[in-house]
Amino acid sequence: MSRSSSGLERESLVMAEAQPLLTITGLSKSLQGRSILNVDRLEIGKGQCVLLRGANGAGKTTLLKIIAGLLKPDAGQLCLDGVTGTWRVVAPLLRKHIVYLHQRPYLFDCSVAANVGYGLRRRGVPGHQITARVTQSLDRAGLSHLAERNANQLSGGETQRVALARARVLSPRVLLLDEPMAGMDRDARRRTDELLRSLRSEDTGLIVTSHELDSNAHWWDAEFELENGQLHALAQDD
Amino acid sequence: MDSLADATGQAISLLVTGDRELWIIIATSFSVSLRAILFATPVALLISFALAYGRFPGRQFCISMFNTLLALPAVVVGLLLFVFLSRAGPLGDWKLLFTQTAMVIGQMVLCFPILVAMGHAAIQAGDRRAWETALTLGASRWTAMLTLFREVRFGLVAAIVAGFGRVIAEVGCSMMVGGNILHYTRNIPTAIALETSKGAFAQGIALGMVLMLLALLLNFFVAMCRGEGKIAA
Repeated sequence: MSRSSSGLERESLVMAEAQPLLTITGLSKSLQGRSILNVDRLEIGKGQCVLLRGANGAGKTTLLKIIAGLLKPDAGQLCLDGVTGTWRVVAPLLRKHIVYLHQRPYLFDCSVAANVGYGLRRRGVPGHQITARVTQSLDRAGLSHLAERNANQLSGGETQRVALARARVLSPRVLLLDEPMAGMDRDARRRTDELLRSLRSEDTGLIVTSHELDSNAHWWDAEFELENGQLHALAQDD
Repeated sequence: MDSLADATGQAISLLVTGDRELWIIIATSFSVSLRAILFATPVALLISFALAYGRFPGRQFCISMFNTLLALPAVVVGLLLFVFLSRAGPLGDWKLLFTQTAMVIGQMVLCFPILVAMGHAAIQAGDRRAWETALTLGASRWTAMLTLFREVRFGLVAAIVAGFGRVIAEVGCSMMVGGNILHYTRNIPTAIALETSKGAFAQGIALGMVLMLLALLLNFFVAMCRGEGKIAA
């Protein structure tokens, strides 16, 4: 892995196909007068996966929250599925089509099934369809046996898997995962790794921040490093 | 000592035999205080949420103001309301003085700072991820707020119970703007004050028992909610 030269860098940041799913340009965010994020351009296409690396406090979570429509940037243009505008204009669309998963996902204080069905209810999906889709999603994630259990009684790994199932059932255009492997044992990481690969095959765009993903796996399409709020493309060696 | 025991015996007898006058006073008290809490709570919770999650100029001042108003004396509220509602006052034309509506307004003013301050503390102490998770899963801001309220419901129930406890037991405001009119604006605290001044302790003790029992039940309710830790989704 090596840092590309600045001339090539802009080119390599534009890594999506002809019709990118999500494009971010000129994004900046400062807190208490200190610039914490300054992204020139980032694109992601259907089913593509972008890996974001960076030290603690580099701005990874801030960037993901802005993309998810949860945090307002100071400036910047976003384009999702051909709809372009400032963050304020695009934010409702971002929240509709992009799902963000916290580093430690939050599950509501209700059953696992109710958690997985939450987003479907908010989208106005009829009750009988919710039940079927929740059941299917839990089956696929191997979580059926936990369906009626209160979400607050789950282990860390189970919480992560339920949160992923809850996001996946919505079939988001882009899924933002903040350190999805943090604190997981080897087995749980392997399962999560498999799940992320399968998400790619469903045409879901992925932006993943991680210290712990295997750098040699190379199953993502592009890798970036956030350093002092600046996004740098990392070229893959092989 | 004997007279106290006698009075307590008579008080229990009044309660058990369903003394009409006593139960009208109890009903008035509950009717007024429940209405006050019912009307004040939604607005107070919205303000609590705005103070916890909003960013606007004067936010910190508002938080400090509501915390200060926790110590607002009931008689001061009663006095101000009396001035406003009296015939010569700016709201004199509404003819609300010595009515249950005036008592409800007074009690709303009294419980409002408690609801806001305790509601704000509960929401602030809650997990911000709940709000963000609800939004990212497609909830509108309104629905996400309700989801957040549900997640911090024990703190909010405690705020409502504390607010209710404050108004059901206050004397000063109800006495001033209600007028302690029998079968209309006489509630438990004003009745206790009146009966005690007349030396008729039995009814005062009976009403005091009701207040104590209510406090006990409310505390059991809060404890039960916390213990169960689960409300249907």
